Amino acid sequence: MKVPFKHMLVYLDGSEGSINALMYAILLAKSTGSRLDALYVVNTKAIGDLVKSRIFIDQERKEFLSDLEKDAKRHLRHADRLAASKDLEIHTITKEGSPHHVILDYIKSQGVDLLVLGSVNAIRSRRDELTSENDRMLRTSPCPVIVVREQDDIWAEFEEV
Amino acid sequence: MALLDIINKNLIKVPLSSLDKNGIIEELVSLYADEKGISDDKKMEIISKVEEREMLGSTAMENGIAIPHAKIDGIDSVSVVIGISRLPVQFGAEDGKGTSIFFLVLASPDNPSEHIQILSSIAKACSSTLFLRMLQSSKTKEDVYNLFFE
Repeated sequence: MKVPFKHMLVYLDGSEGSINALMYAILLAKSTGSRLDALYVVNTKAIGDLVKSRIFIDQERKEFLSDLEKDAKRHLRHADRLAASKDLEIHTITKEGSPHHVILDYIKSQGVDLLVLGSVNAIRSRRDELTSENDRMLRTSPCPVIVVREQDDIWAEFEEV
Repeated sequence: MALLDIINKNLIKVPLSSLDKNGIIEELVSLYADEKGISDDKKMEIISKVEEREMLGSTAMENGIAIPHAKIDGIDSVSVVIGISRLPVQFGAEDGKGTSIFFLVLASPDNPSEHIQILSSIAKACSSTLFLRMLQSSKTKEDVYNLFFE
């Protein structure tokens, strides 16, 4: 484990929790001087599985792919704006695949030493199939992970700094 | 958002009483409409959207499950309505067999990521034969609810 952190990664999935994580990561990167990457993963694995199981038809595959690409652009633009408001350079990236695999590969290949995630779920079921992507990332990340809780008053803090 | 975040006991019906595809869709949407307190017009709009989607290709799979779904303008977050039918209903599965487990997923067009995550979690959960057998033999909505949270 490297201390202090030099290269942080925040995972964006369009949820409010991931926006909280982004704001926290921006403040942390600003105060530590570390590099910050924001990564949105277009979940082509889930779309492929839904087509295979006939829950999605081809028309939906195309529609959802396009929706997710637009969603990625929108959230990464938002990340750019938030970072710029704090005079911080942020590297925004879109990738495709299974989110937790893509994140793990990115951490390893880019030498990321801190992963910042939005909230993870309390364990409410023993069924592994119901585990969220964030939970999987938390459990398998090769680097330290910060989990930003939704109740954290990060919005107010972000405005103040 | 995870599937467990949106499973609501008031959005589970066991058993469903309808014996045909459109009746099942209407029954599931009605449960949603009652719980969310939406207007009759909106309810009819949702039924039409789900039926239109089903006309493009049935969401019934070969293991007795169907996951009808639609993107609905004006709803704030993704919801899932679960229904179990005592008698299998012809829902258009490729193998010609009936369907007895239904997950209706309604989502906002503004959050495609959440929509996909929920559909994908349902599909994964239903890949377990044991889980499906337990769902099918559920007698009450509490039984169904507890299956997810055990």
